[in-house]
Amino acid sequence: MRGTLNDQSLIYLQIAAMIEDDILRGVYREEEQVPSTNELARVYNINPATAGKGLNLLAGEGILYKRRGLGMFVSPGAAEKVKDKRRAAFVQRYVAPMVREGQSLGLSRGELLALVEKAMEEGADK
Amino acid sequence: MNNLTLKAEGLNKSYGSNHVLRDLDVELLPGKIYGLIGRNGSGKTTLLGCLTGQNTFQSGTVTCGGEKVWENRRALEQICFSRELPDTVMGSRNGQKIRHYLEAGATFFPHWDREYAKALMAEFGLDEKKKIYALSRGQRSMVTILIALASRAPITILDEPVAGLDVVMREHFYRLLLEEFGRSERTFVVSTHIIEEAASVFEEVLFLDGGKIVEHAPVDELVDQFRYVSGLAEEVDRACAGLTVVSRQDLGRRRTATVRGGEEELEKLSAFDVDVAPLNLQNVFVALCGQEHPQP
Repeated sequence: MRGTLNDQSLIYLQIAAMIEDDILRGVYREEEQVPSTNELARVYNINPATAGKGLNLLAGEGILYKRRGLGMFVSPGAAEKVKDKRRAAFVQRYVAPMVREGQSLGLSRGELLALVEKAMEEGADK
Repeated sequence: MNNLTLKAEGLNKSYGSNHVLRDLDVELLPGKIYGLIGRNGSGKTTLLGCLTGQNTFQSGTVTCGGEKVWENRRALEQICFSRELPDTVMGSRNGQKIRHYLEAGATFFPHWDREYAKALMAEFGLDEKKKIYALSRGQRSMVTILIALASRAPITILDEPVAGLDVVMREHFYRLLLEEFGRSERTFVVSTHIIEEAASVFEEVLFLDGGKIVEHAPVDELVDQFRYVSGLAEEVDRACAGLTVVSRQDLGRRRTATVRGGEEELEKLSAFDVDVAPLNLQNVFVALCGQEHPQP
């Protein structure tokens, strides 16, 4: 785990997002245990019910699974599931605001697409 | 196992012509941390006193696990109400030592945990021979916190426990509270007006305003019903149609509205040319209970 909590989004969503990030980075691998509700509560000074809500959200999406009496574990294929989920949200979270901002600046369709391609080329150089 | 529900129904309490609690209903289920939030003079301490058999009231009922609380030893033993220690007793300064308060706790609370009390004394660096009037405000708060935690009472109520504490000690207190909560099934009720740093510790919040509990909900569910919507005034108004507008603020042609609504209605905001931002618990409290009405 890393980072600290902010008040820009709901805490249980932040807990879920942190665990997703850590699954993508390989901090937690398939079939490995993730921190328990009480561990999360202690580390982040949050109510255990809130921590549990974050874990249960991921369990509901099949990213984590519960082993009775042991805790929560990373599901096989969890990283792909996280990526699918984020791809589905990509347009709304990143592309739509970018297009809106581009329009309010008076960028044409061609200019906007050119900028995206340029940014991708620069990203590829690195 | 703690299965005690603390419940008030139709509670009315006046001091002379000052009607502090008005037909107040509240139900506190076992095994949660509740935050009680209200402005100065809103009646938080009065309410907590009524819930714990320390205040009389004109009408209504207060029960704990189905039994009346008032003058009922069996119910009262399950409840710890920890409030600020008095500076003076009967007009002279409070010369009681910390030790006396610990002994009283051990006598009164059947679940009193001597070892835990000792560990907390060491953790807070308190000397049991010290007299109450010689303690700083922060140290006095530590004594009340210590008694509340060590009481191990199934229902534990702390009235402004962090008021005298610096920011480091406040965080320390919430950590201790969460630790104890994690290993017990106790119910905690914490009143505070330092809202934001406590928001993540509470499972549910209660807003007390105008003598009633005006909101009682899980923190995240409540906070997620609100948004700030800002932009060109006419566009903001179009975006906010169908939502409850709690307040509006204008700056030239720019308008910022604080709105409340369900998930679906709030999602529709993204179709308009407006900025949408979340509120935190403190913002929500100010939006709902922050009218500039004179406090009684």
